[in-house]
Amino acid sequence: MPPPDNTAEIRITAEPIDNQRCKFVLSVPVLSGGVRRFARAEDATGSPLAAAIFAIPELAVSELIVSGNIITVVKQSPAPWQTLGRAVGSAIRSALTADVPAVTPARKPASGEGSAVSDDALYEQVAKVFDEQVNPMVARHGGHVELIDVQDAVVMLRMGGGCQGCGMADVTLRQGIEGMLAQLVPAVRGIVDITDHTSGANPYFQAAKK
Amino acid sequence: MEAARQIGVELTVASEQPSTLAAANPAGLLTLDFEQPQRAADAVRVFAQQYPINGVVGVDDRTALVAAAIATKLKLNGNPVHAAIAASDKYLQRQLLAKATVPIPRFVLRELDEDPATIAKSIAYPCVLKPVRLSASRGVIRADNPQSFASAHARLRAILADPETAAACGDRARQYLIEEFIPGYEVAVEGLVVNRRLHVLAVFDKPDPLDGPFFEETIYVTPSQVPSGLQKAITDCADRAVRALGITEGAIHAELRYNERGPWLIELAARPIGGRCSAVLRFGTGVTLEEIIVRHALGMPIPSLQRERQAAGVMMIPIPGAGTLQEVRGVAQAKGVPLVEDVQITAHPGERLVPFPEGSRYPGFIFARGETPAMVEAALRDAHRRLEFVLV
Repeated sequence: MPPPDNTAEIRITAEPIDNQRCKFVLSVPVLSGGVRRFARAEDATGSPLAAAIFAIPELAVSELIVSGNIITVVKQSPAPWQTLGRAVGSAIRSALTADVPAVTPARKPASGEGSAVSDDALYEQVAKVFDEQVNPMVARHGGHVELIDVQDAVVMLRMGGGCQGCGMADVTLRQGIEGMLAQLVPAVRGIVDITDHTSGANPYFQAAKK
Repeated sequence: MEAARQIGVELTVASEQPSTLAAANPAGLLTLDFEQPQRAADAVRVFAQQYPINGVVGVDDRTALVAAAIATKLKLNGNPVHAAIAASDKYLQRQLLAKATVPIPRFVLRELDEDPATIAKSIAYPCVLKPVRLSASRGVIRADNPQSFASAHARLRAILADPETAAACGDRARQYLIEEFIPGYEVAVEGLVVNRRLHVLAVFDKPDPLDGPFFEETIYVTPSQVPSGLQKAITDCADRAVRALGITEGAIHAELRYNERGPWLIELAARPIGGRCSAVLRFGTGVTLEEIIVRHALGMPIPSLQRERQAAGVMMIPIPGAGTLQEVRGVAQAKGVPLVEDVQITAHPGERLVPFPEGSRYPGFIFARGETPAMVEAALRDAHRRLEFVLV
């Protein structure tokens, strides 16, 4: 993809999911039409944005997922996001103002490379669970869950409709979808929600008052 | 939920409305009738025969009551039901506090259907009208004279006429409190009660005056700058209130005022500070308030109840007006203010914003941390000035 317009103001909103995971929602796209997961700093070669975030020493990043205008960072550091978010924002801004693409698209692993079950096979299995079980259920609250990709056995999904911005979205994800996949597709190693929940215009449950 | 994951605790999340995925995870998702705490506790006792429960935590006033009923039924660490009821019912709370001679404003319970003009002539001013069972200052209105009393009464009556609100107030939906207005400064005390003993976790100053006519909160900053002797009197007052209400275990959030006559207990809830605001508190090496609460509920060791050294604060962003939120501008600029750690906009585009006293849902939160409370407060105000809420 072409580098973003460097002159435009880049707005970044941090949305901590928990103490390990935080979504950074950007006002400009970083990787259109796909998703890229980085499980280690070595994966970031050729993707300066990911390399810059992995290089923040106090974060101890263990995983990074880039999709559209959302960057999900998973860290090992116990320090709260409130103290670390600024460093991530600076790294993102500096990578986006460079003249090279901030993130290169994912390279599909060759057959037999990586995990025991291929991501393609996992994708098919997870998609079936989403189509046949998850989505008919969440549709009762006007929601839907879209499978974006499976990389290194990690499922990336996006919530929409009543699930987007819903006060119970994390419960649906962690107590519902995660459990279903653990049972039905045990080869899945993790789930990452790349939804921009702040843009949810019709959440089924409101967020907390305070 | 994250606190439980953090310490490897399996969780069952109970909600009033069924989760769409409940059938897929019967051990992790449970539907309970929060309006009927005893019935909910019976349901949990049956549930626990198949999926054992070792601890229970409520997250707000209503669920604190349900949690107490469950704890009692299953003999878990928790409050007795009568204490949870006293903490959630402002009238009952005041009766118990008065009996225990805890300093509180003078109060009287009235029926909404009584003639407000007659009442207005018989009371002292300024006073505050309060619903008996709503939280977050919703419906709380100051009146300075009979005219403003009549207007406040009409407004409160309209608020309590809403079916959902009336349901939340239960048998108190047709009643309200008239309370003496206590001039002075306000603080909040966060605490953890362990075996009837209050451990103070933080005292927050509320630097913006809360003089009415409505009582929308804004900034909480800790550590408090109140002189240590007075602070001791404030926490002693909260401790006496805890004992007066019979609270034996778990988190408490108390709001007090102080003036030249000393501290006054305004409200005490048997629950922690609101979910988002709790992010401002960190203990020991970064332990969250939620982790402390979960550990306490399960009888697990608590690494530290000592809050970090740095000053910290949160601003509940004032509701900018009535209307439908279109967009929020200036978030990046607000986040760029030194010492500001996060700006969370929780209102979504298309959400109808309702100002106090009818509303009580803040559109977002600003968090800051720094060397001194004054620096933190200044950063919160600076960040807030950079936000622009576009309403239509």
